[in-house]
Amino acid sequence: MANNHQLLDLDVAALGELYRRREVSPVEVTAAYLDRIEQTEPKINAYITVTADLARAAAQAAEREMAADAYRGPFHGVPTALKDLCYTRDIRTTGGSKILADFIPGHDATVWTRLREAGAILLGKLNLHEFAAGGSSNNPHWGPVHNPYDLDRIPGGSSGGSAAALMARSALAAIGTDTGGSIRIPAAVTGCVGLKPTYSRVSRYGVIPLSYSVDHVGPMTRTVRDAALMLNVIAGPDPHDTTSSSIPVPDYTRELEAGIKGMRVAVVRELATQLATEVEKSFKSALKTLEGLGATVEEVSIPFLATSAASTARTMIVRAEALEYHERWLRERASEYGPDVRALLEQGMMVSASNYVRAHRVRALMLAETERTLEKYSVLISPACKITAPKIGEDRVRMPSGETLPVLAALVALVAPFNATGQPAIAVPSGLSTDGLPISIQFVGRSFDEATVLRVAYAYEQARGSFPFPKI
Amino acid sequence: MAEFTPAAVARLARDLFDYEMSADSAASVAKVATTMLADAKVLSALDLDGLEPAFSYPAILAQARLRPGK
Repeated sequence: MANNHQLLDLDVAALGELYRRREVSPVEVTAAYLDRIEQTEPKINAYITVTADLARAAAQAAEREMAADAYRGPFHGVPTALKDLCYTRDIRTTGGSKILADFIPGHDATVWTRLREAGAILLGKLNLHEFAAGGSSNNPHWGPVHNPYDLDRIPGGSSGGSAAALMARSALAAIGTDTGGSIRIPAAVTGCVGLKPTYSRVSRYGVIPLSYSVDHVGPMTRTVRDAALMLNVIAGPDPHDTTSSSIPVPDYTRELEAGIKGMRVAVVRELATQLATEVEKSFKSALKTLEGLGATVEEVSIPFLATSAASTARTMIVRAEALEYHERWLRERASEYGPDVRALLEQGMMVSASNYVRAHRVRALMLAETERTLEKYSVLISPACKITAPKIGEDRVRMPSGETLPVLAALVALVAPFNATGQPAIAVPSGLSTDGLPISIQFVGRSFDEATVLRVAYAYEQARGSFPFPKI
Repeated sequence: MAEFTPAAVARLARDLFDYEMSADSAASVAKVATTMLADAKVLSALDLDGLEPAFSYPAILAQARLRPGK
């Protein structure tokens, strides 16, 4: 049968076909992934915990079920890894922190319960920015995650381990979380696909919170189809998460291939400025591709969305809610936090109650403005990040205008507004820079219309063609 | 423009949160807090008529019913 290298290149959909034809076994595939983890981890550091024995046992169980024609669906036998923010029963869940270094939960996060019941095989728990509170995944306790396209660079964050493992081919599917872009940023700078579903579409139960009001859980995969397949498994109401939505969940693969001819796509002017030169070039080329597929691309303005005040509204909510969760630990174990996470929590002390409440009202205003725009357009489009992956430890980047920006600001600027609005948004790679670093675009849709977001992203991805894996 | 000083930040942290902030942290937080204050003024000038904070009673009620007796 296929050699290890070929097995690792397959996406979820293609692997499922081979399983159905019984051309490969989950035992064989899982062994290939565990070998790959052993080979790549010294360079990438994507994992905090590898659950090799459990993975082998789950693979054997999957093999027995498939032999008995008890096929569970597209995630049966899929080697999957979880951001180490997600509870796993009897398996260490650190949140990427020192504080929870020995924490062993008594139950699973709902996303893992659903994936496990769908037959997914857990390879392990993925490294991240400490407590998901940052964009670099330069973790002071578990070591930095390295970008597979350039080991000296960050994979973005906070779901950096998830993205790096996908593209290093040491996991086939992964879960990420997104409070200010933490799924889409790492997807954008490592060349994978990251979908932040609508707030409340996917249960947050059993996921260590950063900010209750703007935390999102979602798929990170190598292809848009795989993201749709994973969303089919994890979306839907959960009695354990009382904020989860009961709006019916469609089959997200049903309209993937319907094309985008006649669709109207809006470029938000405020989210397409001050870009790195090659990001701007790739974005313009993506717009031409969409037009070539029959979509109409128009420019719109949503002036408040990208303002400093709008950003502050979101960050006041995040800082205040993060502080509420961490307050006792901060008081008693401050030295066990990395400096940037401690700083974010300390900033939370300066958010007044009235400003916190007002920030929530401002979220509603931002959502009203973007939903109004989306009455006329199927999706909004922007670059996912202003820049390509920065070097590990780099604090500021120089933009073509000569201005320097904090790295975090350049990473979050175009994605974070949609954490405040809660609308679905996906990052899809659009090309490589001349120095071989991924560049990505972002599509944003109406609340609970992930189906259209995925449809447009899929059409674009098919027109773009295959995306090269890094040479590692 | 109103401004947070490092001393004010350190005192707020101590008085409100029983937290001893280092001088370096207080200086850095004071800068961020001053920016927040300026942006908060912009936010307070927005027309937010009809927009309430979305703290959901159905969610609160459901959580209360989920909570085991203690």
